Amino acid sequence: FRFKDSLAEDLWRADLVISHAGAGSCLETLEKGKPLIVVINEKLMNNHQLELAKQLHRDGHVLHCNCSTLVETLQSMDLSTLKPFLPGQPEKFALFLDKVVGFQ
Amino acid sequence: TGGHTTEILRLLSCLSESYSPRHYIFADSDKMSEAKIRSFEQKRSKTFSNSQFTLNRIPRSREVRQSWTSSVITTLYSILHSLRLTYKLKPDLVLCNGPGTCVPVCISALLLGLLGVKRAIIVYVESICRVETLSLSGKILYYFSDYFIVQWPGLKEKYPKSVYLGRIV
Repeated sequence: FRFKDSLAEDLWRADLVISHAGAGSCLETLEKGKPLIVVINEKLMNNHQLELAKQLHRDGHVLHCNCSTLVETLQSMDLSTLKPFLPGQPEKFALFLDKVVGFQ
Repeated sequence: TGGHTTEILRLLSCLSESYSPRHYIFADSDKMSEAKIRSFEQKRSKTFSNSQFTLNRIPRSREVRQSWTSSVITTLYSILHSLRLTYKLKPDLVLCNGPGTCVPVCISALLLGLLGVKRAIIVYVESICRVETLSLSGKILYYFSDYFIVQWPGLKEKYPKSVYLGRIV
């Protein structure tokens, strides 16, 4: 398919996700607890988009490769090395904001 | 726009109903945010019966990679619109997370404060996508916001006046 409103259904059914380094794609996949390989195309992307993918890789949440090394990565990958991605905590933001505006 | 809207709605997800009414401001060229916001508010109204919100569109101040000179003109145009809107709404709190649309709104809120019309607290939350560098909006508003929140420790080191609460979206 070309475009869907939501990939949520496909994500739930997937065992492995291979994606570009877009933040939305990465985070949505990780939040559903699916193993993720990020394919980085250094020629297309500007540095800003790479920041999150690099950090997620440093933290052990994703594997990464480029277009030419994808096959090799798929053959030699060990998904058990991936660390679980904990969800963000908007409740911490709420607590902070309550203090700031004086709603304690 | 898009990812920014999703992030800001997550930020709002744990706020109490004291944060009411909520006035959402987004670019007139943004086709998707309205649906996301309505969906969020509809879910919210199931828990909080007296939920109030409004939707407000302003001209987009800058397209991605728009040239410097034309950006100045379009930003000024957005600022005029934002000034009128902010004057009408007179917010107590301005919460934003980085799209170009937020700069004119924050500038308007600052101006209203300086002129003694209404002093708003300006809270900026940098996107979770920003790990090592700030967005252009962030670089500007770091100096003009009351609270500047980052979601990765590297940014807290580079921008010591920022607040770091961990990942909050």
